[in-house]
Amino acid sequence: MPDLHTDPFLRVSNIEKTFGPEAVLHDVSLTLAQQRTLAVLGRSGCGKTTLLKILAGLETADAGRVVVEGEDVTDAPAQSRGIVYLYQEPLLFPHLDVFENVAFGLRLRGVDKQSIKEQVDRMIGDLGLRGQEQKRPNQLSGGQRQRVAFGRAVIVNPRLLLLDEPFASLDVETRALMQQLYTRIAEAYAITALFVTHDLKEALLMGDEIGHMRAGRLHVYPSRQAFINDPNSGVAQEVAFWERIKS
Amino acid sequence: MSTSEHPRRGGRIGAAVVAVACVAPFVYLLVLSFAERWAFPDVMPASWSGRFWVRALTGGALTGSFGISLVVSLLVAVVSTAAGFVTAKYVAYHRHRQRLLLLAYVPFAMSPVILGTCLMYLYLRAGLVGTVAGVVIAQTTFAYGYAIVLFTAFWSPRTKDLEALVYTLGGSPAQAYRRVLLPVAKGALLLCFFQTFLLSWFQYGLTLLIGAGKIQTLPLKVYDYVNEANPYNAAVASCLLVLPPVLMLWANKRALSSGGLQVSSSP
Amino acid sequence: MPDRTGLAGLLLFLLIAVGPIGFSLGYALLYSIGAVGLLSEGVTGGHWAKLFLEREIWQSFAVSVYVALVTVGATVVVALPLAVGFRRQLERGPLSYLMYAPLAIPSTVAAFIVFQTLSGAGFFSRIAYQAGWIQGTEGWPELVLDPWNIGVLVAHIGMAVPFFVLLFAQVYAQAGVPKLEQLARTLGAGRVQVVRRVTVPVVLRRSFENLVLLFVFVLGSYEVPLLLGQQSPQMVSVLTMRKYAMFDLTQKPEAFVIAIGYFLLASLLLVWAFRKPAEG
Repeated sequence: MPDLHTDPFLRVSNIEKTFGPEAVLHDVSLTLAQQRTLAVLGRSGCGKTTLLKILAGLETADAGRVVVEGEDVTDAPAQSRGIVYLYQEPLLFPHLDVFENVAFGLRLRGVDKQSIKEQVDRMIGDLGLRGQEQKRPNQLSGGQRQRVAFGRAVIVNPRLLLLDEPFASLDVETRALMQQLYTRIAEAYAITALFVTHDLKEALLMGDEIGHMRAGRLHVYPSRQAFINDPNSGVAQEVAFWERIKS
Repeated sequence: MSTSEHPRRGGRIGAAVVAVACVAPFVYLLVLSFAERWAFPDVMPASWSGRFWVRALTGGALTGSFGISLVVSLLVAVVSTAAGFVTAKYVAYHRHRQRLLLLAYVPFAMSPVILGTCLMYLYLRAGLVGTVAGVVIAQTTFAYGYAIVLFTAFWSPRTKDLEALVYTLGGSPAQAYRRVLLPVAKGALLLCFFQTFLLSWFQYGLTLLIGAGKIQTLPLKVYDYVNEANPYNAAVASCLLVLPPVLMLWANKRALSSGGLQVSSSP
Repeated sequence: MPDRTGLAGLLLFLLIAVGPIGFSLGYALLYSIGAVGLLSEGVTGGHWAKLFLEREIWQSFAVSVYVALVTVGATVVVALPLAVGFRRQLERGPLSYLMYAPLAIPSTVAAFIVFQTLSGAGFFSRIAYQAGWIQGTEGWPELVLDPWNIGVLVAHIGMAVPFFVLLFAQVYAQAGVPKLEQLARTLGAGRVQVVRRVTVPVVLRRSFENLVLLFVFVLGSYEVPLLLGQQSPQMVSVLTMRKYAMFDLTQKPEAFVIAIGYFLLASLLLVWAFRKPAEG
């Protein structure tokens, strides 16, 4: 019987990755329980994307292991991991409309037509995209496209969802809407996720747990409070800024 | 406002002049092909006749050449497009992409006649000289270079991401090609097919060399008639030669205008 | 991910293109120094010496470079104003698709048409006669088979201009040149300055590789100089073919001297044109 303390849903151990002379990832480890979201904070170029790509199977690590649900997927090809990677820029299939984009993963699995229609309709409703089903990607706004990409990823019930700064290219209002949407859907579809961002507030809003990545090294805080209390996390400076403004 | 009307009218007249210039060569060829006698100093043919056309279409010589050219060019287009599509992926995502791309530019940019004289030794040893197969292979060598250059632009980082996306969603390579890569590549595949077809269709010097004058494609016929000082036959042959390209252009103006012209993809 | 189709692609490339051409160039080089060949008498530099000692070969290169250079220059001078001036008509309207029509005309036919229209008894000569400007075919200037290769130039320029009008128009739009021009104007530039400092440099820089490709194409052109060019000096492709196919087999090594020389020149140009820019 799996022990939830020694066998977490996701266990990443000692990942190393070097590109040429640079060590992009150094001894990166983390664990994540099911249906939890880990928000990873970090500036651009710190290795976040490389880590996600290694988890998804789009890159290979030089060392280290990735274990999901007790299964070692380190050397498994991307298509058999059940791990979906969401790009920063919403990458929709340009030759398919919204409905077909969302349905794509289901069609790959040979799901029957009726079932596809039901599931996709439900998802499109959850995404707030009713009426947009026949539209092509180039007819959608950035926020709408990101929603479609999100729905397409979630609908195949991935074991793990990897989001690479998905809301970075959106304006402030759309971003806020998307954050709420994510939280709602993550709960409704029982998603386990790794969420990468460079925005402090977003990390606090989206993450059940918070990690900080700097120069290829990852530090996961034991609790949200620990993160808030850490003088290096940047929270203190933000609070001080707003207090100064007030007075 | 009167001041802005002059440039606009001038622009329209200028555009009309340019448009006429674009069409003039075709008109000239047609007139010449239907002329019976058109000598100095007549600006218009003295007499007209359709007999050169009749003889061409029923005689067998020109229709035979048309047929050979069609078969050769279709083969060249299919093989070079398919091969180029696959090879370009390897080139585009390779570490030494620039160097490999430069290699592809050699058959693409360099004179087929000059390189052809060098290739003759191999073709003679292989017994391919004077055969249709030899001409097809030789022309494919050069069209292949073009196809690689064209498709290397298609296999972009974004295309790579699309492919990876299919994998993370659980798709196999076969599904990736069938459901995403091939549909998205449709425009590029079509464009490459047409361009490589034309490369082969228009080829003269290389066909003359490798075909040893035995494989009489249409361009060879045009040259023969020109050298025989029979401009009317040459005009008919020329009309047949430009007919498929004109049809293709007409059927695909959109495919060409959407970035199809930028022949060079920077390595 | 082991990519088996990729490996197949590479092998195909080597088999169909790189291998034969590479081998053939090696063979040509050996032939040109007398190491192999029907009449070879041992390794000699004699054939290569002819490149410098006899006029025929280097004059051939000189005339080829001349024709290529003038073609590229004239194409830019004609096509760029057309592309920018008729921007709107090239986007919409009859000119937007009629401009593609000349692309359907191959070298063979273009050479034929130029011959028919520019020769002494040709179309334009007849117009001049009817207008009373000349008295007979002798009055018409020598425009084909002439020492300045005017006919050859007209044919090449005529084929290149439509292609580059379309290319320049596309580059102009894609590079956002109108916005750059507006920007320059707000910075105080006059119309001529805008053209000189923004329009022309931006469009030409983006089209640079294609212009070098045009140069290399015209350099190795065959059908046009075959029909419209002089007997001597001939452009390199024509000369190579002549020396190769001649009954007199002693000329063959010289054909390969020209071939190797052309290959080196064209390769240098390609490498130069496609070198990676300093900026990332």
